[in-house]
Amino acid sequence: MNATIAAQMTGADILKLRKKRGILIWSLVLALGPILIYFIAAVIEHASNPGKYGPAGGTQNFSDGLRVVALFFGPLAALLIGVEGGTGDASAGVFRDLVVTGRSRLALFGSRVPAALAVNFVMMIGAYVLLLIGTFAFAANLPTPSVSLILNGLGFTLLATGMLCVVAVGLASLTTSKPAAIIALIAWQIVASPLLASINGLGKVREGLMSQATAHFSPVHVGEGGHGASVTLSGGTAFIVLLAWVVVFLALGAWRTRTMDA
Amino acid sequence: MTSSVDAAGTAIQTAGLTKRFGKRAAIDSVDLQVPRGSAFGFLGPNGAGKTTMIRMLLGLTQASSGSMSVLGHPVPSERAAALARVGAIVEEPRFHPQLTGRENLRVVAAVRGPETHERIGPALQRVGLSDRADEKVKKYSLGMRQRLGVARCLLADPLLLILDEPTNGLDPGGIQEFREMVHAMVEQEGRTVFISSHLLDEVEKICDHAAIVDRGKIITQGAIAELAEGSTQHELIVGADDLDRALLVLDGCPQAKQARRSEGNLQVVLSVGDDSSAPECAAAINSALVAAGLAVFRLEPVRQSLEQRFLEVTSRLSDTPAEEVTA
Repeated sequence: MNATIAAQMTGADILKLRKKRGILIWSLVLALGPILIYFIAAVIEHASNPGKYGPAGGTQNFSDGLRVVALFFGPLAALLIGVEGGTGDASAGVFRDLVVTGRSRLALFGSRVPAALAVNFVMMIGAYVLLLIGTFAFAANLPTPSVSLILNGLGFTLLATGMLCVVAVGLASLTTSKPAAIIALIAWQIVASPLLASINGLGKVREGLMSQATAHFSPVHVGEGGHGASVTLSGGTAFIVLLAWVVVFLALGAWRTRTMDA
Repeated sequence: MTSSVDAAGTAIQTAGLTKRFGKRAAIDSVDLQVPRGSAFGFLGPNGAGKTTMIRMLLGLTQASSGSMSVLGHPVPSERAAALARVGAIVEEPRFHPQLTGRENLRVVAAVRGPETHERIGPALQRVGLSDRADEKVKKYSLGMRQRLGVARCLLADPLLLILDEPTNGLDPGGIQEFREMVHAMVEQEGRTVFISSHLLDEVEKICDHAAIVDRGKIITQGAIAELAEGSTQHELIVGADDLDRALLVLDGCPQAKQARRSEGNLQVVLSVGDDSSAPECAAAINSALVAAGLAVFRLEPVRQSLEQRFLEVTSRLSDTPAEEVTA
């Protein structure tokens, strides 16, 4: 398979995701909605009591907003996109029609990953732009983030949501069930992972959590426990942990796609 | 009956092909030969193993044992080469409902290769969907989806089309169009069309070759005309002035195995040992009726249909009470 075909297959997978209105709308709501609400609430608070509440923008609010986008709601949007990318062909019943073209099943699986990432990144960049607009528009006399922090924040947002998106593609391809994959990932992301991270008795075992490895790369303080950083990892360890998550879930998804009855 | 077609002249060839689900053999040691350039009917009752066979040929599920080749390429070892010029609809055609007909074809064209995109327009035109191609598929009727499925097959510029129950959901006009399209593909374009169906009449009208499959086994295969002629049952339509008396006469006639009323005449199953004795039997029956003083104004052999052959060779005959078969 050459690069042209790979690019066309990825383009086709992007088209499928782009036209899946329900998933797209919910992902947009999850990615942009909380930031919008955050700034609206902060602006109203500031307007009603400027002495107690500072301006809605500035570096501190940027940090809080970044956590909202990258660690709380952005990943939920990413997992919806990833699950749709992983199960779209199977749930529509067209996987077999793609298999009978003679194209390798691994190639069919492979094109899902960049497509899901592309849609996810566009959405996250949109949310991030909204965050920057609020940060600068409502900064008043507060300091604003540096270019370096802005770029690092963008990279962190894409990393944190992209990781979950890729894991979602792998898990969804493994289960071939949209509801099962969504429930499992939301339960992991919202309940299990923060719970495990906050159990001090687990010690270094917690280094294996994706959320902890991701938090290592945050350019802003993300707090301790739960979604925050409960353990301190080296850069190398964090990288290996993230790589392991990606490799394991992609391998599982690829294996299932290659061996399942179509 | 087995066609003697050499390997180079076959679009599909299987040898000892078997698919087991646990202890049950869905396909049991099947030797199938589909001649190139033919419209081939894969005929069998529901649950006979037709779709399982197609799924194995297309690499959708693995065979338990045996070998198969498609367009001269062994499957699954050269699956990609084998399927490059194959178009297929397995069970009902499925699409992404959120995409338009044209977009659905673009998805498949992207997987098949860059040259395929040029075939989208002509394929849509061929199946008469050009005007509706930019509507979402979720608004399509089943018949339109069937036609879009055929258009998707045409993207491969196929040497072989494999169609699973292709007339399901088509109205009479659509079925007629489909027949004409298959005839054109085979006779004018030299493609091979492999159609699985439980509809005997359809296969007889569309196909020139067929295999009859039952409980995972090929019972017989060959040219349609040969298959129908292979029937061991010979029947005669008898017209007489007094059918009640004629039935009494035939009851005592050793050449008449069975007789019943049928559309103002009698339909008589002959007791014949072989094909050559059928005319003598008919003459003996005529003599017996005339000797009994009856006026016989019609003696006509019943043309053997594929349906009769099918009922003879499949398990349906033995599963059905005798009175229902002869009614």
